[in-house]
Amino acid sequence: MTTRIHPVLGAFAALVFLFLLAPLVIIVGASLSDTSYLTFPPQGLTLRWFANIFEISAFRNTAITSFQVAILGTALSLLMGIPAAYALNRYRVELPKWLSTLFVLPILVPEIVFGFSLLKSITIGFGLPVYPSLILGHALLVLPYSVRVVGASLAAFDFSVEEAAISLGCPPLKTFLTVVLPNIRAGVIAAFILAFITSINDVSISVFLTGPGISTLPIQILAHMEQFFDPTIASVSVLLMLVTVGVMAIVEATLGLTFLTK
Amino acid sequence: MKRFAKWGLTMPATIAVVVALVIPVLLTIATTFGEPKGAFSTYTAFFNSGFRTNILYRTLRIALITTAISLVIGFLTAYVIARMPGRLKSIAIIAAVFPLLTGVVVRSFAWLIILGKNGIVNDTLMSLGIISEPLSMLYTEGSVIVAMVYLFVPLMILTLTGVLEGVPREVVEASTSLGATPIATFFQVILPLAVPGLIVGAVLVFTGSFTSYATPQLLGGEQMMMMGTLLYQRAMVTFDWVGASTIAAIMVVITIAVVTIMSRMARRLNPMAV
Amino acid sequence: MKAHRLTKFAALAILATFSGVASASAQTKTFTISWWGYNGDKMKANIIEPFKKICGCDIVFETGNNADRLNKLKLRDGKGVDVIYLSDSFSQLGVAQGLFQEVDASKIPNLSEIYELGRNPQGKYGPAYTIGRVGLVYDSAKVDPAITSWADLWRADMKSSLSLPGITTTAGPMVVLQAGKHAGVDAYEDSEKAFEAISELKPNVVKNYNTGSELVNLISTGEVRVALAQDFTLASMQAAVKTMTWATLKEGDIATLNMVNIPKGSENVELAHQFINFVLSKEVQQKEAEQGVDAPINSKVELSPEQAKMWTYGADQVSKLGRIDYAKLNDAKTDWIDQWNEVFGK
Repeated sequence: MTTRIHPVLGAFAALVFLFLLAPLVIIVGASLSDTSYLTFPPQGLTLRWFANIFEISAFRNTAITSFQVAILGTALSLLMGIPAAYALNRYRVELPKWLSTLFVLPILVPEIVFGFSLLKSITIGFGLPVYPSLILGHALLVLPYSVRVVGASLAAFDFSVEEAAISLGCPPLKTFLTVVLPNIRAGVIAAFILAFITSINDVSISVFLTGPGISTLPIQILAHMEQFFDPTIASVSVLLMLVTVGVMAIVEATLGLTFLTK
Repeated sequence: MKRFAKWGLTMPATIAVVVALVIPVLLTIATTFGEPKGAFSTYTAFFNSGFRTNILYRTLRIALITTAISLVIGFLTAYVIARMPGRLKSIAIIAAVFPLLTGVVVRSFAWLIILGKNGIVNDTLMSLGIISEPLSMLYTEGSVIVAMVYLFVPLMILTLTGVLEGVPREVVEASTSLGATPIATFFQVILPLAVPGLIVGAVLVFTGSFTSYATPQLLGGEQMMMMGTLLYQRAMVTFDWVGASTIAAIMVVITIAVVTIMSRMARRLNPMAV
Repeated sequence: MKAHRLTKFAALAILATFSGVASASAQTKTFTISWWGYNGDKMKANIIEPFKKICGCDIVFETGNNADRLNKLKLRDGKGVDVIYLSDSFSQLGVAQGLFQEVDASKIPNLSEIYELGRNPQGKYGPAYTIGRVGLVYDSAKVDPAITSWADLWRADMKSSLSLPGITTTAGPMVVLQAGKHAGVDAYEDSEKAFEAISELKPNVVKNYNTGSELVNLISTGEVRVALAQDFTLASMQAAVKTMTWATLKEGDIATLNMVNIPKGSENVELAHQFINFVLSKEVQQKEAEQGVDAPINSKVELSPEQAKMWTYGADQVSKLGRIDYAKLNDAKTDWIDQWNEVFGK
């Protein structure tokens, strides 16, 4: 849908982006400040807080763990979530209403209690090793995004198109991949982004599910901040933004300019 | 075949949630009913404390206000983004995600710089002569809401952009060609079609803000304590997991109630909404 | 049927992921240390690498703050780690919950070199390995006259200029103890009076802090100019505001100790004793102090005035510190948290 945007609406959206981006200017400024504390405007310019991230081995190691866990956890949640979202919309009338509430539970239960219960049952009760527990925990934590955000896109999908394809002899899975999926691509990507970011920033679940030898970046950052109050934390945020831009740029270059859209 | 598909497709996610979440959390919450003073003693204690019920009301109020503001801002912005040309759209979506990539401590530092006593807003207002003494904007309900809206608008934008893109162009064109004004088309065609997305967004934002604890702690302080902070104190400071689980149970019940009411309301606007 | 295949694929993918990472995390004999996780690289060079040579074992860490790690240790019923670093109040909680084993002092000969107050402050459990203090800091450019007593917190000119540690932090309960003294009562006996004194303090408080970085932010942005703080935050505050000064209080500062304990489920008890002994040794303590990691508790460590500046250092300073009975404090804490919430939550 492309029709003209009312100027008032356009101005409003511009203000929203100002609201969203202004604090980032402060964070970027603080990350460059040549002081041992957070300050804005920056006093002197330095990249040493960025260098710090790479020099401290705990940051490097846990960043790798965090990325692995976020990718595997998000992938797992999409593998479980997309079929569920599909069924919830396709068989809306026949499936019980509580099912869709069930899939919001992971963000509805306060995270600390969720993490505590998971540690007690999965890791200690079932004896699942730390790393798989951590991935499973993250997959569950982000499942609501996979189910509900994808589901919201599916709600607008006209399933008669799919039925037409199937009645013409196209196998269901192929139909799903070639007819349904392209139509909900924006929703899947949105779900992926939200899930990935939630996972990579998570503290409360990870606090319980990490264990000897395995830690995640946010926990390591908090540990650093117990003793140091320098701008490293700001540079970590900026670095995450740069990585995001970088990944997006690569995707754009390889998959085309409008990858986020239809 | 169809029977299998409809249950089979939901099965992996259902099993995962039931086995790794519902059962463990229910077991944790079950401990709150085993108190020697009676099965519901921890709950009556909670609701008999004016201080705690105050926190509950405040949390509910802040979460609802945050949700409402995020809905309006997020929907209008997503509407604009959905109509942007390809590349600009991608950039807008990436920019909208950026706030989510900032850690809570640096984010609250940024708000300290903006809203603080010597902050940018106060400086600007003073130099313009609008105020003569710095306003105390931090550590109020307002500052908590601003910081939460900041965090949840991106989520709303991301959820709704996908939904609004799914609104078939023909439908919009049909409406306009039949003589409907843009505003009428917006309210009578686009808004109802976006209801499923609005509900998903509202549910995600409400649950997120209702259970948050780091943002209220940093931007609200002890004066603006919320349920999440209270729960955190119980669990991680006094190791009182029965007390923490009591709070969690109350939070879960209230959130489910609010989510159910939201879905009911949505179904009236659009029967297709899940 | 295709849907069936899809779910089967999903299940297989999950299994593959799990079995892959499960086998990768299988380990040989290791010594496990639970600690905060800051200064990891310096600690590795000063303690871990040399100790690896002594023990001939692998060393892994569990990291996180006091509460996280103690909670996890409790859930695992005291198993999973061989030694655990905790601040004194959490260490006392662990003792009270029966999570640690008593240490055999004969296996830690270096105990005799450390200051008396650190040897067995919590009974026969683990010793302290570093020492710090809690006191008052203020901006000497803005606070006149200088702060010389805990009672100065209640001064009228302190209105809207103060930050206290939240009740849930290490230093938080010390506010209650000092408020008790201000009111002329023992806070353990008469917490009502102590909290009345805290209510009187409330107009002076801008915001209470929960982490050191929060405090430094409050100071650097000029939101507050007086705080009750732990000494390790001072250097950062001074970097931001040069005139921040550690007050010399006539009643003295309060000691804080960081402890190292052996959980009851430790699988390497001998090594754990050896490790503690190593951590207390003069060589390690000297290096850690010189590099700004931890203040020395070994009395034989010698530092230049410049190196000593940032620490609680020397028999003279150590002897002036007030001590806290954490067993008593932890018992009172739950009630204090409620009372604190009532005062500051309004």
